[in-house]
Amino acid sequence: MIKADRISGSFWLIFALIVIIESYRLGLGTLHRPGPGFVFFWAGIFLGILSLVTVFRAWGSRKVEEPEMLALGKQNTMKIVLVLISVFLYAIFMEKLGFILVTLLLLIFLLLFIEKKSWLYSTLVSIAMTASAYLIFEVWLKSQLPKGFLGFLRF
Amino acid sequence: MDVIQNVIYGFQVALQPINLFYCFFGVLIGTLVGVLPGLGPPAAIAMLLPSTFHATPVSAVIMLAGIYYGAMYGGSTTSILVNIPGEAASVVTCLDGYQMARKGRAGPALGIAAFGSFIAGTFAVIALTFLGPPLATLAFQFGPQEYFCMMIVGINVLTYLSSGSMIKALMMAAVGLILGGIGMDGISGKYRFTYGLQVLADGVGLVPAVMGLFGISEVLLNLETKIDRDILTTGIKNLFPTLKDWADSIWAIIRGTFLGFFLGIIPGGGAIIASFASYAIEKKVSKHPEEFGKGAIQGVAGPESANNAAAGGAFIPLLTLGIPANAVMAILLGALMIHGLQPGPLLMSKAPDVFWGTIVSMYIGNAMLLVLNLPLIPLWVMVLKVPYYLLYPLIILFCMIGAYSIGNNVGDVIVMLIFGIVGYIMKKFRYEGAPLVLALVLGPMLEESFRQSLISSRGDFFTFITRPISLGFLIVAVLLLIIPIVTQRKKLSALEE
Repeated sequence: MIKADRISGSFWLIFALIVIIESYRLGLGTLHRPGPGFVFFWAGIFLGILSLVTVFRAWGSRKVEEPEMLALGKQNTMKIVLVLISVFLYAIFMEKLGFILVTLLLLIFLLLFIEKKSWLYSTLVSIAMTASAYLIFEVWLKSQLPKGFLGFLRF
Repeated sequence: MDVIQNVIYGFQVALQPINLFYCFFGVLIGTLVGVLPGLGPPAAIAMLLPSTFHATPVSAVIMLAGIYYGAMYGGSTTSILVNIPGEAASVVTCLDGYQMARKGRAGPALGIAAFGSFIAGTFAVIALTFLGPPLATLAFQFGPQEYFCMMIVGINVLTYLSSGSMIKALMMAAVGLILGGIGMDGISGKYRFTYGLQVLADGVGLVPAVMGLFGISEVLLNLETKIDRDILTTGIKNLFPTLKDWADSIWAIIRGTFLGFFLGIIPGGGAIIASFASYAIEKKVSKHPEEFGKGAIQGVAGPESANNAAAGGAFIPLLTLGIPANAVMAILLGALMIHGLQPGPLLMSKAPDVFWGTIVSMYIGNAMLLVLNLPLIPLWVMVLKVPYYLLYPLIILFCMIGAYSIGNNVGDVIVMLIFGIVGYIMKKFRYEGAPLVLALVLGPMLEESFRQSLISSRGDFFTFITRPISLGFLIVAVLLLIIPIVTQRKKLSALEE
């Protein structure tokens, strides 16, 4: 975890510095009347010190590099990235396209392209899942999911 | 006696058909969540939280609570049958439970796990019934200084008991505290860290954050590896442990129950720690320690009782003091607040139906679970056979819907996804999510009590030390931080000799 700790420690250190600066700008107030930035200023300092400790420990350590949890098979990284892109797209288009359409698209994408199942299987399963999700969340729990431009169909 | 009256009242609330239904639904989902690897109680509770908005607070809490202790039952099923823990508190059960299954003794293993869980769970609820009111009365004496120091203790205990590096856990607590501050500051009215983003004006939502940190990140993590599931379906005949099994396990169950209960009450303890501790203790006191790891029934009975007792015990700080004992309780705290309830000592008096109704529903829930778990095992086995590539789209979908339905706001969904990525990266770099969540929930309360303490003492910092209870908490908090350093030094010097 050595190299990794150096990276993560430095990241948190930068984060802490940003927090410290911003909290200072918010105003620390006095001990009598602590301002809005007071607690966060000190939290930032605390985080900053701990990050420094993490970085220094990683630097000074003579331990052998562990077989990395960070190592990812190339295939799997692709999978994760694709899934992430698809869910972000889902979120962005949720309200424009409406729940039913965007869910169908997501599920078909996941099953067909990422999991590489057949057209028929993907479509059937996606329809089944979308339908049950719709029944559970819209009809039963009355969650008010976005209707999108297909809303005129009045589901 | 007052308690009896309250319990009767609780039954009146809990036995209403709608609440019975929510209880049943909660424990059913809980068991399902426990059975399915890759989906834990925090994510499940967070996912179902939005759907409770239309229900009354009582029903909501009953259901969400049911999910938690239900998951403790369900987790043992996968551990024993598939050697994959359905959830973290059942990891230890894999060690001996799976071995028992391989020897054809899956039935007794499952049986003793269920019965032990029932005994422990019921005990925890009974203790909750009797300890709850006195504790709440005690807490009336707490001022902001006491609350502040107690919350610090809670965070420190969580970091002390975390499996990874304590420094990293403390860092996560600090991050959670900072994230909890995003949004409008109650006292000054200023916006903090929002950078003009509308979605952050109300702060980082607890629900999207938890769903992302625990749900989405878990899915991403699972996508990396192919989980090979080799289910042992042979030999689940006799679900009832033999008399000898009972004789062997009864002390393990009793020890596990007490251990789990106390570890559950302490903020930061929880079911996971309890199960590990119980396993260690059973191995130490056993006359045949070499059998552990090869199918010792105590290795199943003890931890399974412990995790259920801990789940029950964890409700005590939440319901009486308003302090969450672990990540799941933190989410429940958020749920209570969303429903307009004020957790803390006042909960008992202001919302007795929630307080007593929930406690009594836990009796009922434990009984339901005993019935659910044993006969329905073939059903759970079928569920386990569902391939992961069908499960994870469903999980993702549920998370997306859940996040959206909080406020019909896509922003919440995006927040959740960002936390999902953050959580995934955190797991890879070995940072834990639990301290972050606890600090996120406690953050605003922490800050408020801190500022109130200073304001009421007129800037006197020593107010935390001059008040006895507060000083006591502080000492414990400091000890929790120092002890690991001291023990590490001792280990190092022992190695050098």
